Amino acid sequence: MINNPIGVLALSKREIVRFLSVASQTIFPPLIASVLFMYIFGVAIGARIDFSSTGLSYLGFIVPGLMTMHLISTCYENTTSSLFIARWHNHIQEVLLSPLSYFEMVLGLLAGGVARGIIVCVGVYIVALFFTPLPIMHPFLLAFFILTIAVIFSCGGMMGALWAEDFGMLSLWSIYIIIPLVMMGGVFHPMTMLPDIVRHISKFNPMHYLVDGMRYSVTGVSDSSILVCALISLTLALGTFFATVYMFRIGYKLRT
Amino acid sequence: MRDSERAISIKHLTKFYGKLQALDNISLEIKRGDFFAFLGPNGAGKTTTINVLTGLSNFQKGEAKAFGYNTVSEYTRTRRLIGLCAQEFNFDPFLTIHQLLVYQAGYFGIPPREASQRTDELLERFQLIEKRNVKHRALSGGMKKRLLICRALIHDPEILILDEPTAGCDLELKFLIWDHLTQLNNEGKTIFLTTHYMEEAEKLCKTIGIINHGRIVRIGNKQEVLRDKSLEAVFLEVTGQE
Repeated sequence: MINNPIGVLALSKREIVRFLSVASQTIFPPLIASVLFMYIFGVAIGARIDFSSTGLSYLGFIVPGLMTMHLISTCYENTTSSLFIARWHNHIQEVLLSPLSYFEMVLGLLAGGVARGIIVCVGVYIVALFFTPLPIMHPFLLAFFILTIAVIFSCGGMMGALWAEDFGMLSLWSIYIIIPLVMMGGVFHPMTMLPDIVRHISKFNPMHYLVDGMRYSVTGVSDSSILVCALISLTLALGTFFATVYMFRIGYKLRT
Repeated sequence: MRDSERAISIKHLTKFYGKLQALDNISLEIKRGDFFAFLGPNGAGKTTTINVLTGLSNFQKGEAKAFGYNTVSEYTRTRRLIGLCAQEFNFDPFLTIHQLLVYQAGYFGIPPREASQRTDELLERFQLIEKRNVKHRALSGGMKKRLLICRALIHDPEILILDEPTAGCDLELKFLIWDHLTQLNNEGKTIFLTTHYMEEAEKLCKTIGIINHGRIVRIGNKQEVLRDKSLEAVFLEVTGQE
């Protein structure tokens, strides 16, 4: 499926170098935000919350949620801004005129979002270790969830960047859809704490399964079946990836 | 004509932008090694034809081929054969001009060391080597024009397509670009050029096509098209302009 590996590597390198060269804007802000979340919610407020029923401290509970939340937002932001700016300046033509297949183009553009997401996610975990000991219970499962979630939202970011007509439209999906769903997906609370009706509705929120899968991988504790979480994550990753390839293939807002 | 001798082949190409017909059943063939000028008033369909050939535009009917390869179904092959020097300065603003060309070479499957070497050779040839570590914003208009040509040539394409390469250039730069294009054509590259400058087409090209309202209204070798008239006179005659 990859006939031009050097081309894919070149595009991947460009995308990765782009966010690394402005690490003060792309890597450190989510880490600083995590420190604040962990201190305020985990230490200052969390110490007063009785969380013994879950078998975890409140801080231990929110760390996987924060890892997921920042993984999602950084992946989405990275590919959205990179692809939209490329469209805006029209230097996307550099890629479109190349002999990369549409599959390879998406793979190369994806690399920046995935790499940035992984760096931030691992960074949040390392920061958390300064607050609480948190051994990873299922490292391979964690790697699976990090990778699939990174693919889902990096591809989501590309779709958002293709759909957007101006900078104002760029963050609409993130503000009105993704962040509320992630917040309601159980970053800061277990589903058992919610009223029955909200808990039932939350079963239709895919973000819940992503957060829950990450939480199970780190702590061994989850609300839902881990198999269901893994299947949803894998299905969404494959679905968003091939949907993005399709958008490139038909030239959605890329070709006149 | 064998496909290896037919650099560009367009058959019955029709393209609409919404309800506006940009190309109306156009057909043309350009031989390997030809220097083809594609002329026409603004909005006649020149850039649309280029965009279809390079895969930047979809179209509704017809087909376009480069050396026998279909530009839609075999796009990964045709894009290796074509280098496009666009009208606008559409460079990645975050990269130096050296990085920009090395990445561009990379997309074409050229390994980094060879890409860097080829980049320096092109920058040297187009007198940009001293600017290799600056971003394109720091270049003059003329330098950006030359950078566009460097980018189009980075993968050593068989066909070089130039969309008004000398528009807005001073005389010195125009002559410099003409020299480079003549040299590239002498080296065997097929050149497809659009321009509004009749003297440019008359001086450089072997074959001329004129498009108006999305239709090719005159095409042939230079002598056939001119028939002892000036190109400007022919152009005004076939496009109905005063």
